[in-house]
Amino acid sequence: MQKLLTQLMLLLGGVGLVAGLALAPALRRPYLDAFYARFTAPPAASLVLGTSRAAQAVLPGVLQARLSGRYAGPWLNYAFTLYQSPYGPSYLASIRRKLAPGTRQGLFVLAVDPWSLSVARPKVAGQALGFPEDQLMIGQLHQVSQNPNLGYLAHYLNFPLYRALLHDTATVVERLHPDGWLEIAMPSPLTTPARTRQREAERLATYRQQAASNQPSVARLASLRALIGFLKEHGQVVLVRVPTGSAMTALEATYQPGFDQLMQRTGDSLGVPYFNYAGQPYLTTDGNHLWRGAARKFSQRLSDDIFLLKND
Amino acid sequence: MLFNSLHFLVFFPVVVGLYFGLPARWRGPLLLAASYYFYLSWRPIYGLLLAATTLLDYFSGVRMSRLATKAERRPWLYLSLASNLGTLFVFKYFNFFVGATDALASALHVPFAAPTLALALPVGVSFYTFQSVGYIVDVYQGRLAAEQNLGRFALFVAFFPQLVAGPIERGEQMLPQFRQPHGFDYGRVASGLRLMAWGMFKKVVLADRLAQMVTPIFDHPQRYQGLPLLLAVAGFTIQIYTDFSGYTDLARGAARVLGYHMVLNFRQPYFAASVGDFWRRWHISLSSWFRDYVYIPLGGNRRGPARRYANLFSVFLLSGLWHGASWTFVAWGALHGLYLVVEAFTQPGRAALARGLGLAARPRLLHALGVATTLALVAYAWIFFRANSLADAWYISTHLFRGWGQLTRHEAVLTVGHFLLNYPPEAVVTLAAGALLLAVDWHQEWPAWAARWPRPTPAVRWAGYAALLLATLLLGFFNSTQFIYFQF
Repeated sequence: MQKLLTQLMLLLGGVGLVAGLALAPALRRPYLDAFYARFTAPPAASLVLGTSRAAQAVLPGVLQARLSGRYAGPWLNYAFTLYQSPYGPSYLASIRRKLAPGTRQGLFVLAVDPWSLSVARPKVAGQALGFPEDQLMIGQLHQVSQNPNLGYLAHYLNFPLYRALLHDTATVVERLHPDGWLEIAMPSPLTTPARTRQREAERLATYRQQAASNQPSVARLASLRALIGFLKEHGQVVLVRVPTGSAMTALEATYQPGFDQLMQRTGDSLGVPYFNYAGQPYLTTDGNHLWRGAARKFSQRLSDDIFLLKND
Repeated sequence: MLFNSLHFLVFFPVVVGLYFGLPARWRGPLLLAASYYFYLSWRPIYGLLLAATTLLDYFSGVRMSRLATKAERRPWLYLSLASNLGTLFVFKYFNFFVGATDALASALHVPFAAPTLALALPVGVSFYTFQSVGYIVDVYQGRLAAEQNLGRFALFVAFFPQLVAGPIERGEQMLPQFRQPHGFDYGRVASGLRLMAWGMFKKVVLADRLAQMVTPIFDHPQRYQGLPLLLAVAGFTIQIYTDFSGYTDLARGAARVLGYHMVLNFRQPYFAASVGDFWRRWHISLSSWFRDYVYIPLGGNRRGPARRYANLFSVFLLSGLWHGASWTFVAWGALHGLYLVVEAFTQPGRAALARGLGLAARPRLLHALGVATTLALVAYAWIFFRANSLADAWYISTHLFRGWGQLTRHEAVLTVGHFLLNYPPEAVVTLAAGALLLAVDWHQEWPAWAARWPRPTPAVRWAGYAALLLATLLLGFFNSTQFIYFQF
């Protein structure tokens, strides 16, 4: 047995050493994919939360520049996608793990929209409505501040590791900043209106299907309330509705007509402000996500509004 | 717990270390505890189901062993069969049959309303129930002495390497092994680890890579015609083989490390020269299960050609249904049943034709033609196995050879590039890994041919192991949720 153990240790050690030496520089680069850096960043005291809208629309760096005197850092955009991080028990648990211990003066921007508070309609009458994200990365990854994050690399990286070695995982379009902001480096929608309209049509078609197959969820709303309750103990919470294109705003109004009133009531009942920017004219890349230039402007506007709030 | 997960990477060495560190009498209980831990890591509640069916089968077996005649044993056989097949029906087939009845009732304008069940399919239920049914039938027939030790029987049902996706083992093969002590043997353990490494390579480098290319096309086939569809079918043909045989290698390798020999489940199936030959090489433990417990009891080939064809067709229809409660699997099974019936029916005619064309004198060419034809037939049938609906399968079938004339050479190259993730190194990795798979299968199929090559020196061999591990680590996709056969 000793002979085999020695051979195995030499073999695995050698392979591990070669792989480690080769991969270490690649894994230290700030960008690996659209999520990884958020799970290698240290626990944060101020968080931007929500789905891909918030991931692309809110720049923690901009908030920090305006508000760092009032709220504690580090600042991190910890918003993922509608698929991964709608409000629910898994996202709440993940946020609990990501929040820096002992945080008292944090700022928590919770981006809300009807989709992030919905669930799929049951296919069978009476079927219990579960949370699909419980089985996904956000529900399964328990180490959220580990560098390198072996759990993520072993289970959730969407490409083989050799592609990280070839330095081409950062596509020309997508780049995750160290503060968690996901920058989509597309040209301005003003210079590519036809392509933007096409993307908008495609995105709307997807969301129309979403509207047909989903329904607002009491359980997700309860999770949002639980999240607000938890975060209020650690600082200031704000509910934010990120602006979208007009067609998307109209679709959401049809899908859940009383959404803004619901959020206003939720905010009022829990003592947190609701900033509703729906319908405001910011440029989007697809009617759903803010273009990077617009995201910067929007983040400045949001930080101004939060700043005023603090001055009330 | 998946074999290709970090969880298993910790679990397995711990179990092996404890296994060889403990006195022999504690190894069985350790394996049983490890097997239940392995199973409960999916959904703890279904561990109760596994335990309940195990208990019932154990007591049925013990009771039958104390009864002299088949007539006396029969009620216990029926009880066990009802328990196993009832479990399978409730969890796997109930909604399918309700849906089929509903569709029939609607077509006949007959009012019909039955509840549907919102139950998740317990992992591995089709495998462990079939294994238990095989055991109980063998005990009933008097071919196997009932296992009197509950722990040993529970381990036979739940042994973690084969619990969730086989191979479907027989009592006569496994139970004696659970009674023997298995010490550490360098050659056996090293051989088991090599088999596991090869299985892992097949799964994460080939199967999961091909899945990235195949899945989008099978999910939306109507967006494609011609070349992409053909590539997706070819890709799935290799994906399903490397996925399932990769799992089986991991399972057999893990068992071998612990000292247990499990049956061979794959024997280079794509080198089969006929569909009948294919089924003697593909998922052998299931094919032989159906042969022994369904085909032969139905009369096999002993009651004339017509009955033989009917038996063959019925068995493959059942085999299709075993794979999944869906019309696509039924169609896949029926297609294979049809292949076998036609193959058997036309055998004399085909032999005469081969003689007439002079092919009988050229057996290698005849064999190659058989291999090519079988591969094409099997690949075509995989369309039904993989498609999300019969409509999708039909669309793919009817559009495989359409639109080729409209493709320019440039577009064809672009299409192939898109299929291979639109990323040139992926094409290189896929082709290189595919070539390695072919070489290994070739080596195993024709060992005499392989024997002409000099045996590698230890240094070359160890460099090869290191290269295989490094390739698995760097080239593998590790985000795949599970093995295809886990859903059955």
